[in-house]
Amino acid sequence: MKDGPEALLERPELTFTAAGVDALLMQFGRTMNPCLPDFLAQLRETILSDLSSVVLEVVPAYTTLLVYYEPRLVRIFDLEQALTQLSDATPWACTPWSGDPEKNESLIQVPVCYDRRVAPDLQAISEATGMSEDDIIKCHTDPIYQVYALGFAPGFAYLGEVPKPLQIPRLAEPRTHVPAGSVGIAGAQTAVYPDDSPGGWHLIGRSPFRWFDPQSTPMTPVQVGDRIRFYGIEYDEFEALWSKHHGEKPE
Amino acid sequence: MTGFRVLKGGILTLIQDIGRLGYQHLGVSRGGPLDAQSAYWANRLLDNEPSAAVLEITAGGFEVEAQSQTMVAVTGGDLNLTINGEPQAPWRSFWVRQGDRLKFGTPRYGFRAYLAVSGGFQTEPVLGSRATVARDKLGGVNGHGEAVREGDYLPCKHLTSEGIARQIPQRYLPQISQQITLHLIPGYQQHEFSKGTWQQLWNQEFKLDHQSNRQGARLQGKALPVPAGEFLSEGVSYGAVQVPPNGQPIIMLDDRQSLGGYPKLGNILPLDGFKLAQCAPGAVIRFQPIHLAAAQQQMRRYLRFFGL
Repeated sequence: MKDGPEALLERPELTFTAAGVDALLMQFGRTMNPCLPDFLAQLRETILSDLSSVVLEVVPAYTTLLVYYEPRLVRIFDLEQALTQLSDATPWACTPWSGDPEKNESLIQVPVCYDRRVAPDLQAISEATGMSEDDIIKCHTDPIYQVYALGFAPGFAYLGEVPKPLQIPRLAEPRTHVPAGSVGIAGAQTAVYPDDSPGGWHLIGRSPFRWFDPQSTPMTPVQVGDRIRFYGIEYDEFEALWSKHHGEKPE
Repeated sequence: MTGFRVLKGGILTLIQDIGRLGYQHLGVSRGGPLDAQSAYWANRLLDNEPSAAVLEITAGGFEVEAQSQTMVAVTGGDLNLTINGEPQAPWRSFWVRQGDRLKFGTPRYGFRAYLAVSGGFQTEPVLGSRATVARDKLGGVNGHGEAVREGDYLPCKHLTSEGIARQIPQRYLPQISQQITLHLIPGYQQHEFSKGTWQQLWNQEFKLDHQSNRQGARLQGKALPVPAGEFLSEGVSYGAVQVPPNGQPIIMLDDRQSLGGYPKLGNILPLDGFKLAQCAPGAVIRFQPIHLAAAQQQMRRYLRFFGL
């Protein structure tokens, strides 16, 4: 990501590229930009409501919207024009959101247990970064994270950005089993694994929340454009919250 | 309850329907039959809705016993189907009585057979679909993404009278071959790949790797040069051909993850993806370019034919 304030002032230029017979990729530059998630979330809503007759699905990620459309109802040229118009009409309100007090309402507070029993890589992270375990926890709970994308698995939210001192690469050998709720870090990204799965991120803690439940509304606690802050909890509290949300003890 | 009792689950047998629509922004894969054309044919033989749930039987080894009477249809690859030991030709519908045993053996040609029943299999839908997506743990017999296995019960309607048995005319049967050409619509990071890479792509042969699955078809051949630089993850549409650092392309299919960050050449024509679904590991695969407009025209014809 560019750090200079001038990088935040202007909306990156929109380009289109084909993504098969029934999808079109809208791209706003190629670098992570903290102003984009909010913008993309708004634009996505507008497209889904204004072009509902021809657009079936819109998948947001970092700098792109993947627009699934019905090619029998619209020509690609006309669709690109309509999407450009909607994009131009969507406000680019690029005050860095973390400094915007009105946005604090949508801040989601997420408890994380950083106890070694549920943070198998804490020591390895400490060795790799040269930080103490307390500093690591402080570093991870300090920022307000943006939800840049949801993907990889149902409810897996890509959060950014992890402060520079805590940025470390993925594991050389991915784990075959990461328990649900595990909180991982990889480069500038952090995320909670919604369910048991394989995974290659360093595990820093575990969240007692349910991150994906097809029976509940909404199915995931977060959407692209939301903001998250983690706060530390003790192991006992983690166990109690886990039992409350999952109806059973953690594995 | 009426339906079929599963005697043998086989290599990989899955309930599939048109798929889970509208949840990709939450990371939920769509799912659906890999050879959608064969699945639609099976439903059409029975006058089912195109969205009716069918069984996708991969590589055979599957056996069921009918617990009620109904019409069924079998399409896709020929997996040496027998009923009560009698060999049966695929691509037709027929009457099944209580106690009949349907057994799918090893592939004679093709790789995936589709079994439809009158009205479709009546398992419990999850997020509007019965499609089984193992990696999302959604759909299937118990709703948690499991494959069909021994002892499962596959519910469906009981018919009081026998329907009309039908057969698909020879000229409509899709070509099933272990040597196919995939039409590719350039897109995504097409300009990041060099002219030389494109030339290599059009001229070389690939083999379908045995690690292929419903998420992606992995190809093996002389490695393609990979563009330098990091790409942020973006939405991955059906048939996207991504090239990871080892230069061996992966074609993203129905169980693909919603997002991916490897550079992509473009997407294959879905009609060719259906042929790919009938390829066994080791099949020979080539690429050929196609314009978006031409590809859309072919898809229009296909969709109109099935009334989709």
